[in-house]
Amino acid sequence: MEASAQLTGTRKKVRLLVVEDDTAIREFLSRALTESGYQVDAARDGETTLAIVADKVYDAFILDLGLPDMDGLDLIARCRAQGHTAPVLILSARRSVDERVRGLEQGGDDYLTKPFAFAELLARLRNLLRRSSPAAAESTRLRVRDLELDLIRREARRGDTLLQLTTQEFALLEYLCRNAGRVVTRTMILDQVWRMRIDPATNVVDVQIYRLRNKVDLGFQHSLIHTIRGVGYVIRES
Amino acid sequence: MSSANHKMARSSAAWRIAGWPTVAFALGSAAAFAIMYLIIAGDIRQRSDDWLSGEAETLADVSANTPRDSLYGRLVQEVAELASHEVAPSSDKREGQNTVFFLQMTPNLEPIWVGPQPREPFVRAIEEAHLIPGTPASVKVADWTMPFRVVYDTQAGGNGIYLGFSDVAGSKMLARLTASCLFAWAATVLLGFAIAWIVAHRTLARVVRITETVSQIGTDDLSTRVPEGSSSDEISRLSQTFNRMLDRIQASVHQLHVLTDSVAHDLKSPVTSIRGSLEVALSENQSGMWRERVAEAIDGLDRLSQVLNTTLDLAEADGGALRLHKETIDLSELVRQLLDLYQPAMDVHRHHVAAHLQPVAICADMSLLNRAIANLLDNEVAHLPSGREINVSLRATGDDALITIEDNGPGFPLELRKHALERFVKGEQSSGHGLGLAFVAAVAQAHGGKVKVDDRPAGGAIILLSLPMSEVLTTKT
Repeated sequence: MEASAQLTGTRKKVRLLVVEDDTAIREFLSRALTESGYQVDAARDGETTLAIVADKVYDAFILDLGLPDMDGLDLIARCRAQGHTAPVLILSARRSVDERVRGLEQGGDDYLTKPFAFAELLARLRNLLRRSSPAAAESTRLRVRDLELDLIRREARRGDTLLQLTTQEFALLEYLCRNAGRVVTRTMILDQVWRMRIDPATNVVDVQIYRLRNKVDLGFQHSLIHTIRGVGYVIRES
Repeated sequence: MSSANHKMARSSAAWRIAGWPTVAFALGSAAAFAIMYLIIAGDIRQRSDDWLSGEAETLADVSANTPRDSLYGRLVQEVAELASHEVAPSSDKREGQNTVFFLQMTPNLEPIWVGPQPREPFVRAIEEAHLIPGTPASVKVADWTMPFRVVYDTQAGGNGIYLGFSDVAGSKMLARLTASCLFAWAATVLLGFAIAWIVAHRTLARVVRITETVSQIGTDDLSTRVPEGSSSDEISRLSQTFNRMLDRIQASVHQLHVLTDSVAHDLKSPVTSIRGSLEVALSENQSGMWRERVAEAIDGLDRLSQVLNTTLDLAEADGGALRLHKETIDLSELVRQLLDLYQPAMDVHRHHVAAHLQPVAICADMSLLNRAIANLLDNEVAHLPSGREINVSLRATGDDALITIEDNGPGFPLELRKHALERFVKGEQSSGHGLGLAFVAAVAQAHGGKVKVDDRPAGGAIILLSLPMSEVLTTKT
């Protein structure tokens, strides 16, 4: 995985607390998040969590809703009551997510339903951490190698060539470039570019990427948009 | 064991159902009979009292106006005897007949007595009775069972006249009346109870049959039905309701079997391919090759979770637990965005998509509608032979927003059209999981709309999704 967890250039590692009662998932998340550059603690139930957060501060929580000893949302409320303001990424087993969870999402937190792609968890986590940290100056230009996006004029150039992109294609390319070097899943693309939480049975996203790639990469020496089989897509310099 | 319990329960219930109304009926009818008795008895007494008063007056008249000669006693006696014969036809003065006595007490004269002998008990009884003149009263005479009604008259010129009458005939009539009333009362109460018990028993027997039938229905055999009977009373309706419930349970169980089978089948193939891919990956020596296998395995897992998710969604929709997060949506914009998303995929298949979208606002769950319409478009992409025309239209018809998706493809296979909206129903060549249209139907239903699937007369398939717009102004959650 990409070692991209360091935010805003500080050397201090981002601290995460994973609360999950399923041992397999807990250990997988701890390992994978550690490999991604985060400092990870894990708890298997609500009581342990409360004991841990009593004297430690975290930058974000990853929390399974179905804990053996208490309701996940109650646990969040009790953490909040203790003064923890860190964002919470909720993991839910159910697909149609509880109304309260959706309400929580509007409060700045986010949720993922199991099973999920780890890339998506990373992306949502990054999103939450960015939201909770002071906003960096919004750039008006994005650049990946010789691809340059002018976000104000909504134009994309590859070297000297102006790419003929539709609005939708530009939005897709912008999303890829904002996450340059990081893999994005089809679900994330649908969610972030089309604002839809759908799960198409056909390869609509692949075809969209295929068409975009024809415009961005066809005829150039270096391909920028890459397919990561089984995960999604990434735009990167090589 | 249970049948014995039923029997006991049934008989006790029958006794209870028949018993209480019978008790109420018995009390009511007893009161009615008692009132009737009192009225008749009062009438009879009144009649004899009237007679007594009238006769006493006549006798007083006679005794006052008859000259007091030697024949005075004989005359008064004759008149009294004549009067007594009016009500006591037989001269035989024994008990069991109407009995009349007449006594006239005149100072310095021998009392005149007409009536049964000896007269002493009568005289004693009268003296003890302290009678009020002119008012008939009951006097009990020693050795006589029936009390006498006696009237005392003092108007006979200083003579005290006592006329007594024991209305045995009236009493006998009253007794007969009482006896027959009691008999009639007992008979009606018994008959009423018997009828009530039989009706209750027979009704409850039908309930017991329902109970027995229902208790015999096991999980493995749901085909047995409760006898419904020909009438349309409550019990028949109960049976019918039970049978409808059993129908539904049987259908649900059947559906569950189908569902389990289909889920098992649908999970088996991806699991097999995932396992295969991973096994091959393990035996690969070149890293590039195993990456490919692992990617295949992840694709398989994605298919697997799609089946799981949609199955769960449908299960929730069935349980009525599909929560709607309604907001006001520009439906045309929603459809347009989906068409944009699907356009490249349509292009790949060389389909020509024409859209006629009227602006329609609707209050609905955007996420669910997105997924439903995406399912419909997935269907077109997956099942239509390449190079076809697809028409997507959206318009308001009355209270509904109507989304129509038509194509000029081969249409629905005949055997599929009827069941296209049921889950796990899919075409033979379909690689889908057969849940797409079922999910669309569930979403439509949750919004109070419906889906219709048909073949166009000109060939090709048409899918109509109608959603009510009525809630645009009312609900906003």
